[in-house]
Amino acid sequence: MSRATYMLKRLVLSIPVIIFGTTVTFAIIRLGPLSPAAAILGPQGDARAIQQIEQRLGLNDPLWEQYFDFMGNLFLFDLGQSWVINSGTPAVDLIISYAPRTIWLGFWAVVIAIGIGIPLGFYAGLNPNTFSDYFASFGGIVWRAMPNFWLAVILVTVLSQSEQLFGFSWTSFIVETNVVTSPNLAVLRNPTRLITDPGQAWTNLAKATKQILPPALVLGSASMGTEMRIGRTAVLETINSKYVETAKAKGVSPRVLVWKHIFRNALIPLVPVITAEAFILIGGSVLVETVFSINGIGLLFVKAAKQGDLPLVGTLMYLFILLIVGLNIVQDFAYTIIDPRVGYDA
Amino acid sequence: MMETEPTEDIDQPLRDRLKAHPGPALLWGAVLCVLLLLEGPTYLDGLLGAIGYGLALLPGSPGAEAFASASAFFGELPHLLSRELIPNRGYYDGSAWQGTFLGLEPKYAWLIRFLLVYAYVAVLLGWLWYGYVLFRRHYRAADWTPTDDVIDRLRSHYWGLFGLAVVVFFITMAAFAPVIGPTTAEENIEGPYSYDMQYYNEDTETVENITIGEANLGSASRGSGDSNVGIWSYDDFGRFHPVGTLVSGKDLFTFLAFGARVSLFIGLGSMAIAGVIATTLALVTAYYKGVADLIVVLTSDSVQAMPALLLVILATVVFKNHWIAELYNGAMLFILLFALIRWPGLWRAVRGPALQVGEQEWVDAAKSYGQRPTVIMRKHMAPYILGYLLVYASLTLGGVIISVSALSFIGLGITAPTPEWGRAINIGQQYVASQSWHISLIPGLLITLVVTGFNALSDGIRDAIDPQSEGAEGGAAGAAAGGGGG
Repeated sequence: MSRATYMLKRLVLSIPVIIFGTTVTFAIIRLGPLSPAAAILGPQGDARAIQQIEQRLGLNDPLWEQYFDFMGNLFLFDLGQSWVINSGTPAVDLIISYAPRTIWLGFWAVVIAIGIGIPLGFYAGLNPNTFSDYFASFGGIVWRAMPNFWLAVILVTVLSQSEQLFGFSWTSFIVETNVVTSPNLAVLRNPTRLITDPGQAWTNLAKATKQILPPALVLGSASMGTEMRIGRTAVLETINSKYVETAKAKGVSPRVLVWKHIFRNALIPLVPVITAEAFILIGGSVLVETVFSINGIGLLFVKAAKQGDLPLVGTLMYLFILLIVGLNIVQDFAYTIIDPRVGYDA
Repeated sequence: MMETEPTEDIDQPLRDRLKAHPGPALLWGAVLCVLLLLEGPTYLDGLLGAIGYGLALLPGSPGAEAFASASAFFGELPHLLSRELIPNRGYYDGSAWQGTFLGLEPKYAWLIRFLLVYAYVAVLLGWLWYGYVLFRRHYRAADWTPTDDVIDRLRSHYWGLFGLAVVVFFITMAAFAPVIGPTTAEENIEGPYSYDMQYYNEDTETVENITIGEANLGSASRGSGDSNVGIWSYDDFGRFHPVGTLVSGKDLFTFLAFGARVSLFIGLGSMAIAGVIATTLALVTAYYKGVADLIVVLTSDSVQAMPALLLVILATVVFKNHWIAELYNGAMLFILLFALIRWPGLWRAVRGPALQVGEQEWVDAAKSYGQRPTVIMRKHMAPYILGYLLVYASLTLGGVIISVSALSFIGLGITAPTPEWGRAINIGQQYVASQSWHISLIPGLLITLVVTGFNALSDGIRDAIDPQSEGAEGGAAGAAAGGGGG
C-alpha cells in the first residue's frame, strides 16, 4: 500500500469516528433529562418563552428530523448561534474571538513542554543512574501526578505575591503585567505594527508572551513529565543499540555520536507523545483558563455548559472532535515520514 | 517439581490436603477470626448498610428498613477501632482533660486512634500475607508456579512497594473515614447545628454547651488576623485539628478522609466496570478477530476522539437534576461516565496480550477438544491478560481521581456537603499565600501523593509480570495519568 492510499484509508476511517462523537453529543443534548430550552431560560423560564425557543431550535420536530438537521448543520459548518453567553451572536464569531488566546496558550504549552522535557529526559538518559538522573526522573514522575488546576492555583499565588515571598516581583519583571488576566493579542492580528510602531507593538508582544508563560507551563506540565520519561528510555535504548556501538568502534567522536546517531533516533518514540499532548491540552485548557481567567475556548465551554447554553456547547464539542481526529491523522502522517518502517496496515 | 514426594498426589483437592495436615491452617484461621472479630461490627454495619441503601433505591424499597436497623444495631456494638473506645473529644476543666481517652490531651488521644487504625490494617494485611506463605509451604501441590516469580519480583521492586504502601494508606483512610478523623462528617460537616458539644469557658470558668455549628464559626481559617486554625493545633473550643480547618471552620482532616471515600468509590467503581467491558471485548476480539475486532476498533477510536473532560462536564450539567445524579451526590453518575469513557484505553492495553494468548497452542488444543468458546476465553485466556489490565487500571485510576477533583474544583459534580478534595482546593484558593495555606495545599499534596502511588504501583506490577518490558513503556500508557486533563 502506498503512502497515499494509506492516508486515504485513514481519512475514510475517520468519518465514522466523527459521526459517532457528534451523535453522542446530540444524544446527550437532545435526549438528556435537561431540555435545551429549559436550560437556556433557567428554572424561572415561563412557558411561552420556552415554546418560542423550542420552535426556533426545532425541538418539536420528529427526532430523526432533529438529528439530521443537527448533523447536517454541523457538517456544513452552519454552527448556529449562542443563546445565553452572548445571545444572538453567531457561534462562529464567538469562537473566532475566543480561539486566538487558546491557540497562543496551547502553542506555548507545547513549546515549553518540548523545550524543557526533552532536553531533561535526554540528559537523564545520557547520564543514567546518577544523582541528577534520579532527581530529574523523580521530579518528572511527581510533576506528572500533580493536578493541573492545583499547580495553577499555587503558581498564581506565588507569582502575584512574589514580592513579599521572595523579594522578586514577577509582575514588574521586564514588562508590567498582571498574573490573572487574558493576554492582549491585538498585535498578532496586525503583525505589520511590529515594524510600523515597534516600541508599542514589541512591548505588547512581550506582555502577551510573559502573561502566557505561567499558564502554559502548567498546561504543559503533564506532557513535560511524559516527554522526559519517554526521552530518557529512548536515549537509553538507542545507546545500547548495535549501530551506536559500531559508530563508537569506528571512532566517531562523542559529539557526533550523541547528536547524529543517538538523538535523531531517540526522537521517534517522542512523536506520539507530542501529538498526544493535544488531548491533554484540550481538557487541561478548560481548567487552566479558569484559574488564570484567560478568555479562551476552554473558559467559553465551561461558561456555556454551566449557564445552559447547550447549542453552543454542542458546536464546541463538534469542533474539538474535529481537532482531535485531525491531529490523529497528522500524527500518523508524521509517523510515515519519520519512521518509514511503520506498517500501513492500520 | 522433582522434590515433591512421590506419595503426594498432585490432583488431590485442596480440601483433602487441608484435612491431612490441619495444624497451621487452623491456627492461622483462628487468629484471622480474632482479627476480624475485633472490627466485626464495623464490617457488618457497613455491609448491611450498603445492602439497605441499595434496596432503598428499588421501587417499594423491600426490606431496606430491616437492613438499616440491623446495620444500626451492629454500629452500636463495641469494637476495637471506635470513637467510643478511644474518644478524643473532651474539654479542659482548668486542671485536667475530661472525656478524652485516659484523660490524655485530645491530640494524643486522636493520634493513638489514628495509629491504631493503621496498626490494625498492617497486622491484618501481614497476617493475610502470612496465610499465603503458609499455603505455599504446606498446602499447594506445586513447589513452584510462575506467580511466585511475579510476586518475588514485586517484593524487590521498591518503587512499586512504595506505591503499594501509598495505596494502602489511601484505602485505609477511605475505609475507616468515620473513625480516623478527629470528628465525624455527620457532626462536623453535614449537620453541625444538630449536634452539641461541651467546652470550658475560660472567662466564666465553667463548662458550657454550644452547637458544633457555632463552635465552627469560631474556628474558621480565613487567612488574616486571629482567624486561623493551622495544622497540628487546637481551636478555642479545645478541639484538635491535625491539618487545620476550612474557611467555614470545619475540620479539614475529616473532610479529607471522607473525600478520600468519594474518590476511591468513583475510581474503583469506574475501573471495575471499565475493566469488565475491556476484558470481555479483548477476549471476544482476540478469539473471533475479523469483523468483531474492526467494530471494537472503530468504537474505541470514536470514544477516544471525544474530549473526555468536556464530555463529562456536559453530562454533569445535563444530568444535574436527574435521579442518577442524586445517588451518592453524583458519584454514581461519575462512575458510569468514567467507565464509558475510559474502557477504550484499558481495552487497547490488553488487546495486544489477548491477541498473543489467542495464538497459543493451548487455545488451539482446547478448541480441538471441543471446549466452548466462553470457557476457553475465561479459563485459558483471561488469566493471562488480567495482570496487564491491573497495570493500566491502576494508572487510569489516578487520572480519574484527578478528573473528579478537577470537576469539583470548577464547581461541578460531587455536590456539597459531600466532601471532595478539589472543592477544598477551590475554597482555599485565595488563601494560599496567607497563614491559612493549608486549605489548598494539603489536599493538593494528597492528590499528588495518591496519584504518584497508583502510578508507582502500576510500574511495579508491570515490571513484575513482564520483566522484559522494563523501560519500554508506550506513549499511550505514559499519557494516561495526565490524560485526566486535570
